[in-house]
Amino acid sequence: MANLGATLRGVRKSVGSGAARRTLLNGVDLELGAGTLTAVIGRSGSGKSTLLHLLGGLEPVDEGEIEVAGVRVDRASPAELVELRRHAVGFVFQFFHLLPELTGEENVMLPARLAGDGAIARERARALIDRLGVSDAATRLPGVLSGGEQQRLAVARSLVNEPLLVLADEPTGNLDEESGLAVLQLLRGVADAGQAVLLVTHDAEASALADRVLTLRDGRLIG
Amino acid sequence: MRPLLAGAVARLRRRRGRALLAALGIAAAAAMTGAAVTVSFNLHDGFARSADAAGMPDVIVHFDTRDAALVMGRVRSLPNLAAASYQLEFRSQYVRAPGRVPITSGDLFGTVGMRHGYAIVAGRDLSGRPDEVVVERGLADQWHLRPGERITVGDAAHGGSVLALVVGVAVAPDNVAYPLAAGARIWMPYRTVRRIDTTGTAKSINIALLWVNDRSQLDVTLEQARSAGYGLHGLTIVTREGVGVLIDGAAGIVIALLVAVSLGALAAAGVMVAVSSRAEVQRRLETIGLLRAIGASPRAIAAAAGVEAAAVALPAAALGLVVGWWAADGASARLLEALNQLPRGATLLLPLALSLLAIVALVTAAAAWPTWRACRRPTAAMLRDAELPAGSRSLRLPGGAVGLGIRIALRRPIRTFSTAIVVASSVAVVLLLLALATTLQRLENDPTTIGKNYQLTSHSSVRALPRIRRLPGVADAAQRFSTPVVDSFQLGEAFNLVAYCGNRLAFEDPPLSAGRRATRPGEVEVGQGLATALGLVPGSTLAVQFSDGDEARFRVVGIVRTLDNDGRMAYVRPDREFCTFRGGQTVIKLKDGADLASVTAALNLTGNRPSTVGGVTSRNAQFLGVVAALLRTVAIIDGLVCLYVLAQMLALTALERRTTVGLLRACGADRRQVALLFFGVAATVVVLAAPVAVVAERVVLGPQAAQLAAPYATVSLRAGTAAVLVSLAGLGAIAAGASAWVARRIMSEPVTRLLRDG
Repeated sequence: MANLGATLRGVRKSVGSGAARRTLLNGVDLELGAGTLTAVIGRSGSGKSTLLHLLGGLEPVDEGEIEVAGVRVDRASPAELVELRRHAVGFVFQFFHLLPELTGEENVMLPARLAGDGAIARERARALIDRLGVSDAATRLPGVLSGGEQQRLAVARSLVNEPLLVLADEPTGNLDEESGLAVLQLLRGVADAGQAVLLVTHDAEASALADRVLTLRDGRLIG
Repeated sequence: MRPLLAGAVARLRRRRGRALLAALGIAAAAAMTGAAVTVSFNLHDGFARSADAAGMPDVIVHFDTRDAALVMGRVRSLPNLAAASYQLEFRSQYVRAPGRVPITSGDLFGTVGMRHGYAIVAGRDLSGRPDEVVVERGLADQWHLRPGERITVGDAAHGGSVLALVVGVAVAPDNVAYPLAAGARIWMPYRTVRRIDTTGTAKSINIALLWVNDRSQLDVTLEQARSAGYGLHGLTIVTREGVGVLIDGAAGIVIALLVAVSLGALAAAGVMVAVSSRAEVQRRLETIGLLRAIGASPRAIAAAAGVEAAAVALPAAALGLVVGWWAADGASARLLEALNQLPRGATLLLPLALSLLAIVALVTAAAAWPTWRACRRPTAAMLRDAELPAGSRSLRLPGGAVGLGIRIALRRPIRTFSTAIVVASSVAVVLLLLALATTLQRLENDPTTIGKNYQLTSHSSVRALPRIRRLPGVADAAQRFSTPVVDSFQLGEAFNLVAYCGNRLAFEDPPLSAGRRATRPGEVEVGQGLATALGLVPGSTLAVQFSDGDEARFRVVGIVRTLDNDGRMAYVRPDREFCTFRGGQTVIKLKDGADLASVTAALNLTGNRPSTVGGVTSRNAQFLGVVAALLRTVAIIDGLVCLYVLAQMLALTALERRTTVGLLRACGADRRQVALLFFGVAATVVVLAAPVAVVAERVVLGPQAAQLAAPYATVSLRAGTAAVLVSLAGLGAIAAGASAWVARRIMSEPVTRLLRDG
């Protein structure tokens, strides 16, 4: 793997305190190469989402090293984390999290606008929307779109800043089978286009499309 | 019921931030109420309360110094008389005390009789010893004088002087306090004044204080007093009721404004409490639905919501009321002192306690009622409606964080518009207060504000007028005559008669409120204050008695608004003969842009020593300062209401849109962008509120307040451009500050919690 999207070394993360303290990640090592789709499966509460959050700099790590696009996430300042999320990482969430006030296209453009790339964002957003086959949804508000359309727009949003790493947290968990499959194929396409994709899922279909399938059990990734 | 109450308590503990925010809002509203109650209850019956406490006489009769036996004999013959006291007033006396700047405006009152018409507020009353004095509170405050200290009264070089012991400090509500009044009043035994006033006869007096048995029969007593006053010169009869009308009139404007402002803010706070309660119910709809689904009764759920709200409201409202009372009590006490009135003291506790109950009841009802209504809906509908309403129409609005904020605000139109109305009301009131402050400032410095168009006066003769008019910088000069007179029909009303030789309106132009200008000798324009006192209207006859006993009659042709002498003015047009032979005062009007100092120097060179004309209230700067302080207090509290209203709306939005903020942060938004998002929400409110506020102040509040002041002066209380810009800038700053605060709070939370809680 010549180009690494991200690496984790000896990552530990616990939640709670005192008697309720629970270790979710206990020395996790992982390398995510550009152009690969990695799937992580595991039981509910096993720490899969936490793994994504640590990679995206949404949560601080207790111990270990995390590097994304050459940035040491575990040591990064808040401003560096903002830059990382703007340019190096894209998120896809289970519940889409499209802003109800914005049209499909505006939702897709949102990360680019936040990064100050508003001028070229529209062109890039339109190209992504066309590529993901949701042109009809571009001018409509999320409230009138189907779950599948919303998730495709969410995928487009995660790609608009051309990040090195796409983190997808149960992207098919709220979709029917057909729509879920379509979204997984989209993510496969994203990886084929050269980006590193880390997918957390319960979906068996995902395993079939992934380059690697890892299981998170007792705080460790088993491959 | 008990589990629900326990749940309410647990929720309060868990959501301390939200409970604190709600408490702050209630405290702000309560502070406003506390200030309003303190000011209103202290001022609204201040005169009556103080007059009762002081045992103020029902009638005060002033006359030129006469033999006491003659006056007492006539007074004893009056019907309905309960008691009488007499005084010898000796004005403009020299008063000094160690370490104080001496004054020459001491009004000495030598008292005969047991009742004096004042209330002792420190020390004790006169005991009859010759070297004792009681001083009025105004002088005691100015000089920091206490009972036990000694003052020297009178000037040995011009009559006599006495070194006297201050035994008491008193408040006499029949006049405003020194230095608002020109003279500082000092009461002493009659024979002590006689030692100072060496000009009078052995047993002379010039004031009679009368108390009647039945106030409803006062007119009979007054009628007889006027008859009995035959032969007494300079007779002025003032009733307790008349003094009350005069003194309360001026304070009435302030009271009316403060009460209006306070009620507005109270209504605003009530709306906000209701809106936030509705939002809270909306937020908890799912929980309420679940409680209903597991069998909780609507009554129990609503009661728990009410108890939860009351638990927050009680301490917050109590704190707010104390803060409001504390903020307003000092300023209103100073105003009362200026008016020679007494504060309410402990009796203020009752209205404050009732206010506390009312606020807690309002907050409780505002929480329980919407919860009760929500509980009456089908459970499934509650669970469904807990979601944010889905939009279906895209709005063409600017992009970026601010644009998104605007869209978020418009997504909740009821909340946004109700907040905008509350903010608009508050800003309108602030604009009014700024307009008032500007007017007060102009009243203090600018004589033209109260209808005078001249800047200098000089005690020159008519013959000097042509020479003065030729001086560089002088636009015009005229001879003005002013003399104190009484109404010879009712004898009780003293006023000033003003006459100009030449075009009066070029120099003194109080606005006409009824009738027309006096254009011929025998016609008179009267001030609103005099017209009110004597019931004059255009067409009435004004009978004037001069100090030398001469009498003249004039036909009233116009009523004018003037602040001079509380509006007790009469403007006449004299005949040519009068102008040729009388002295008077020269009034000098400067050209536009003329240098006052140069003209003053030129007048001095010609031997016409000039004086600068202040506004009618220049002597009353302290009073205006007190009123301005009171207005500023209310304005600050009002500004806090604005801040709270916006902050609460933003906090509710932040609470509701946690996922949105979480998502933005996950997509790379920094604190500035999140703050801009909330600024967009606040800006929507501000943009909606600003024009409403300006229009409301200019069309409704300003003209209404000016109407209140109309009997005294024509003042424009429409906020000027500068005031509007300052207020809007302040509002913008408040919006920016509130946005930054909310952004800071939500940025301190982990992104994952925001996404999860949404």
